Amino acid sequence: MKLKLGIVVVVSILLWGCSKEETSEPDAPLLLFEKPSTFPNTSYKMESNPITEDGFLLGKKIFFDGKLSRDGTISCAECHNQPYAFTHHGHAQSHGIDGQVGPRNAPALQNLAWGKTFFWDGGVFDLDLFSLAPIENPVEMDERIGNVLQKLRKDASYPPMFKKAFGTEEVTTERFLKSLSQFMLTLVSANAKYDQYKAGKASFSTDEKAGLTLFNEKGCASCHPEPLFTDESFRSNGLPTDFFRNFVDTGRYRITELKEDKYKFKVPSLRNIEYTFPYMHDGRFISLEDVLDHYADGNMANLETLDPIFKKHTKRGIALTSKEKSQIIAFLKTLTDESFLKDKRFAP
Amino acid sequence: MKKIAFALVLGISVFFAACETSDINPNDKNSVSLYFENLVGTDPVILNTKTYTNASGEDFTISTFNYFVSNISLKKSDGTELKFADKYFLVKESVEASKTITLPDVPAGDYTSVSFMVGVDSAKSVSDVSQRTGVLDPASYGTDNMYWSWNSGYIFFKMEGTSSKSAAANKGYKFHIGGFGGMSAKTANNLRSVTLTMADLAKVRKNIAPEIHLAIDAQKVFKSTLKIADKNEIMNPTLGTAVANNYKDMFAVEHVHNDKM
Repeated sequence: MKLKLGIVVVVSILLWGCSKEETSEPDAPLLLFEKPSTFPNTSYKMESNPITEDGFLLGKKIFFDGKLSRDGTISCAECHNQPYAFTHHGHAQSHGIDGQVGPRNAPALQNLAWGKTFFWDGGVFDLDLFSLAPIENPVEMDERIGNVLQKLRKDASYPPMFKKAFGTEEVTTERFLKSLSQFMLTLVSANAKYDQYKAGKASFSTDEKAGLTLFNEKGCASCHPEPLFTDESFRSNGLPTDFFRNFVDTGRYRITELKEDKYKFKVPSLRNIEYTFPYMHDGRFISLEDVLDHYADGNMANLETLDPIFKKHTKRGIALTSKEKSQIIAFLKTLTDESFLKDKRFAP
Repeated sequence: MKKIAFALVLGISVFFAACETSDINPNDKNSVSLYFENLVGTDPVILNTKTYTNASGEDFTISTFNYFVSNISLKKSDGTELKFADKYFLVKESVEASKTITLPDVPAGDYTSVSFMVGVDSAKSVSDVSQRTGVLDPASYGTDNMYWSWNSGYIFFKMEGTSSKSAAANKGYKFHIGGFGGMSAKTANNLRSVTLTMADLAKVRKNIAPEIHLAIDAQKVFKSTLKIADKNEIMNPTLGTAVANNYKDMFAVEHVHNDKM
């Protein structure tokens, strides 16, 4: 064994000696996906789509490619921008092709391997099938998946990448979608100050500590439980339904057509919430203060499907003083994961 | 005299019947094809240009008439059933070749009924993307889409056209029927199974590849109270249930060809 290692070392030195100009070491293989020790098992069947560096690089190239849209202008990254936890920075509702606006705020792309459903209404139940929707949505990319594949086949740079990732140059729906999934699955955020605090590697300020206690005691954690800060359920938090002049978003009901799902939306993760503004499915709240005001100030709509947690007091919502609100916000900011937001692996 | 004649006829029938069954070699195989002829009443469907009248007296044209056929099975007189698992077909009026479904390697025998599902079963509807090839590949549809990307699932049946009774600005109507019952929540299930007995048996022999000729009457889509004037767009599964209940009855076996090759 020692002999083998010795040979490898000698050969390495010899080889290294040969290359006079090249002083930089070969890139270490990218560590692409690792389940954080505090996270549960993934919902995504990782074995159905093993992540490889070539698959990841292909998925990343596709993610940043405007060819996915009818006129070449809109890539996934348009509405899912890394510095803002892959959301559409500053846009209440996301803007797509021809400047059109959809009714929903682009959700963050993070920890998707643990997602059970996708979209605010959970209309898609498999990450692999997700990307078809924005591609085909007339106000997002307005393109047909068949056309997208055809464009990639004609682009000289793609077939060799498909070959590297999947063995042949054939561009298929499955390969296209699975490479995109490989890229998206790697978007794991689990290194916020909160995570370091839990691991005993960082300390919380008095306000952050108080915020965490309030977060649990006031019931926030019942829908936003750690470590993912979402329970993946659909709930109504009493947002008035008249936000848009000509359109009432019925949320989960649009998918299930079950009365009990009216006005319910997917509970979003709170990770990186400091950067995912504006908030709610329609981006109606600009700041975290606005969000906390909605929960605390008794202005929730009296919807039949309003979550029972908000019906405990005569005033709908959760009782919070302004100090408590600011402490909760201080805690929420500990969910910011700078290393994720700046991770160079995810940049184009 | 009559009795003797009757006995004679009976005897001959039995004799022939015996001959017929005895000529079935269970090792022989041949194909069975299903031909889907789309009609309105007894008139052939002519896309775009022909105007028909539905049960409510509404004029209508047909520009698109598509449906998925899957889970086909053939049943013999002895009750044994031959299932064609994992085979999915998309019949489109606009594509002549799609109207013939060929089932290979059917063992010789007399088949008395054919069954199939209109739609894509729930197991396939939630399957891994690697299982979605051929007519199940979302990239295969072009502009004639048969897949809901925003509410994952296939459009089992699609009928579009125009009617002067439509309230739409372009006088169009669109029936897109899907809904496999839901992944987690129990939602509308518009999968429908059809079983058709064949008056003429499909007699598969070494030298006979039967063709089952089906007549599909699009008029049945409008039976009972389905009016274009009431609803010119039916695209969500709960509304689609009424349409699915109608179109499940549009299939009939017209005749069976048992021509020797």
